[in-house]
Amino acid sequence: MLDILKKTLKTGSQTTKYPQIPDFAPAGFRGKPELFADRCTYCGECVTACPPGVICLSEKNGDKVLTLSYCGCIFCGRCEEVCPYGAIKLTEEYELASKTKDDLITSIRRKL
Amino acid sequence: MTVEYEIEIMGQRLNERIKKIFGRSLHIREVDAGSCNACEVEATALSNPIYDIERFGIHIVASPRHADMLLVTGPVTRNMELALLKTYNATPSPKLVAAMGSCACNGGIFGETYATGGGVDRYIPVDVYIPGCPPRPQAVIFGIMVAVDKLSQKKTPYSETPYLNTGIKGTTRLEHEI
Repeated sequence: MLDILKKTLKTGSQTTKYPQIPDFAPAGFRGKPELFADRCTYCGECVTACPPGVICLSEKNGDKVLTLSYCGCIFCGRCEEVCPYGAIKLTEEYELASKTKDDLITSIRRKL
Repeated sequence: MTVEYEIEIMGQRLNERIKKIFGRSLHIREVDAGSCNACEVEATALSNPIYDIERFGIHIVASPRHADMLLVTGPVTRNMELALLKTYNATPSPKLVAAMGSCACNGGIFGETYATGGGVDRYIPVDVYIPGCPPRPQAVIFGIMVAVDKLSQKKTPYSETPYLNTGIKGTTRLEHEI
């Protein structure tokens, strides 16, 4: 019993202080994907690679628009792998909860 | 303002919100609507000694009748469709619904097929979306914080709920709050 008590005292409290102190995900964690407008060529590689199909390429008023919805994204990192220009990167951000689906959409655009 | 002081304030934020809105605590019913069980593993981790959501007064309960909030996982399979609707109807109002995981948000990897509905919001109104496959326990805690904040903004037509109109009074601790 003394051994158990000794171990308990030695271990101490392991509870995370999360909401008080920001918690950073470990290195290599696949979180929120980010799009870089300056590198993207709108080739559509990521669109075909995305398993749940949340990335879409469209044309609006003569602009090419690449839209990514985090709502449905499975954070597999396929888009990052296939992108030849490194225009899409998965960050370590995980606090994505939102009240509406529109807040979870990110997009970049370029004039044709 | 010192760092310690800031941390102290931030730590009390969630607890205060819950106390203000729900009286003492927030009770969550976890609903598995055809999930792959990854989200369940993370939801279970919420009550372990490391994440320990009970310290904020958030409890996971065994019945929707005890719950203030539904934490729905999975893309709503055809077999779980009715069960989800029954659970939603059994939860007393004001209630919150959190869609946990990408499947619950949008169908995720399962998408919309003959067997899956493609998101919880096709069946019941969702208050907060928590993307992630599965979301980290911290992300779920963040989602609950967002949801609780939403309820304080929500104009709940509490006096118009059916059982208050039947003349039964004082059924809730929230009556004077909202």
